[in-house]
Amino acid sequence: MKKYKDSTDSKQNKKYYFNKKKYCLFCKDKVKLIDYKNYRILQKFTLETGKIMPGRVSGVCGYHQKQLTKAIKRARHMAFLKFVESKRD
Amino acid sequence: MKRKYEIGFLLNPESSDEEVKKIMDSVIGIIENAKGIVENIDEWGRRKLAYPIQKHNEGIYTFINTEVEGKAMAEVERRLKLSERVIRFIVFRLDDKLKKANRLTKKWHKSEKIAKKTKEVIEKTDSDEKFLDKKGDENEEI
Repeated sequence: MKKYKDSTDSKQNKKYYFNKKKYCLFCKDKVKLIDYKNYRILQKFTLETGKIMPGRVSGVCGYHQKQLTKAIKRARHMAFLKFVESKRD
Repeated sequence: MKRKYEIGFLLNPESSDEEVKKIMDSVIGIIENAKGIVENIDEWGRRKLAYPIQKHNEGIYTFINTEVEGKAMAEVERRLKLSERVIRFIVFRLDDKLKKANRLTKKWHKSEKIAKKTKEVIEKTDSDEKFLDKKGDENEEI
């Protein structure tokens, strides 16, 4: 019992983050080019406010993040996605 | 020099089927006059918009993939800009990114091959170990 208590005490003092290792979802599916027309996938990479999710949060690699930002901007222009999402709705 | 392009345009929801066809034909006509190839036509039809444009909540979507020269594309853009029924349109090149993408796929193929080889090696060693273990057991029994 004592051993168990000691271990928990040490954990409480430090900050532990149990995050899974992030990886690029597009690399996993082997996506060549991201199409701006499948907006439901793009919507997953936007925040609640409608902003584009940064790569360090979503884990998307540099190659795909560059395409993703352009695809989201095109989708906004063609009215697939909102520019700003308000919380009132 | 021919290049791959993608065109997309949004039409007024009040426009009739004939008007939709007229604009489609005019775009395709320009491309075919310049000896281009129409690869794919996607007609999505009426859809709800994410936000109102010119007080319209709906729109008619159409998408075209082509392979033409740049001069023809400039004319397509001009035509879409001038027509009143078109609310929004988008035109962009595709092939400049395809080269990079093809390079990436080569990398993926390489990594796949390496993964396959490592798997085979692991399986082989596992089977060999099992075989040895069985032999050992048999010897012990005897």
